[in-house]
Amino acid sequence: MVQKKERVIHSRVGPLHVEQDRLILFPKGLVGFEAQRDFALVRLREDSAFFLLQSSTDPQLGLMVADPYVYVPDYRIKISTPEQELLRLKNIREAVVLVTVTIPPGKPEDAVLNLVGPLVINIRLRRGMQVPQNQLRHPPRLHLAGGGQTGEGSTHEPS
Amino acid sequence: MLILTRKAGESLYLGDDIKVTVLKVQGNQVKLGFDIPRDLTVHREEVYLRIKEENLMAARATEQDFFMATELWSRKKKE
Repeated sequence: MVQKKERVIHSRVGPLHVEQDRLILFPKGLVGFEAQRDFALVRLREDSAFFLLQSSTDPQLGLMVADPYVYVPDYRIKISTPEQELLRLKNIREAVVLVTVTIPPGKPEDAVLNLVGPLVINIRLRRGMQVPQNQLRHPPRLHLAGGGQTGEGSTHEPS
Repeated sequence: MLILTRKAGESLYLGDDIKVTVLKVQGNQVKLGFDIPRDLTVHREEVYLRIKEENLMAARATEQDFFMATELWSRKKKE
């Protein structure tokens, strides 16, 4: 049996053992974190939709992300041709979509999903990028507790 | 910052292959048309700034809150 090359990543939640080929390359980084390119995606609980997207080089940089489809089954996003090319997406089935999660300090029950800047990952090639949505058909933020959008902007955001 | 004055219908070029045309000016709104290469993406600044802010917030959550949220919002709970 071939031993997979494993790498220890120092994360916000302690050391993580990640196979080298499980890392995800974000060629353009994330919005606001353009310098960080390599990330590990870690699910911390088997039955959870929440993940930690951890930079492999900056232990302090770990973002909370979630599978939006668990909560917003009809979530639809647009990926432009240049973005598809950067991700080298040939088939939409290769794409995994995640969104960032905002947790107000001390209030995990008020967690919010941010739907404007989904992270799209080509799961076959392990390439990812954040794909800003200029025209979103959903409220920009989903308040999990309410199962609906947050107060701001109510149903309409100025476009 | 470079400042240019254009009338509706007039265009300008950014380099050789990006053409910006002022289509319409109405009150405080300007409608712009872009002829751009296929490999260029254009995003509205407020969208970009918002995502940046959201990313910072997502990265700022404390470990404790994250674990608590993970407990609270399990897949099973929704089903």
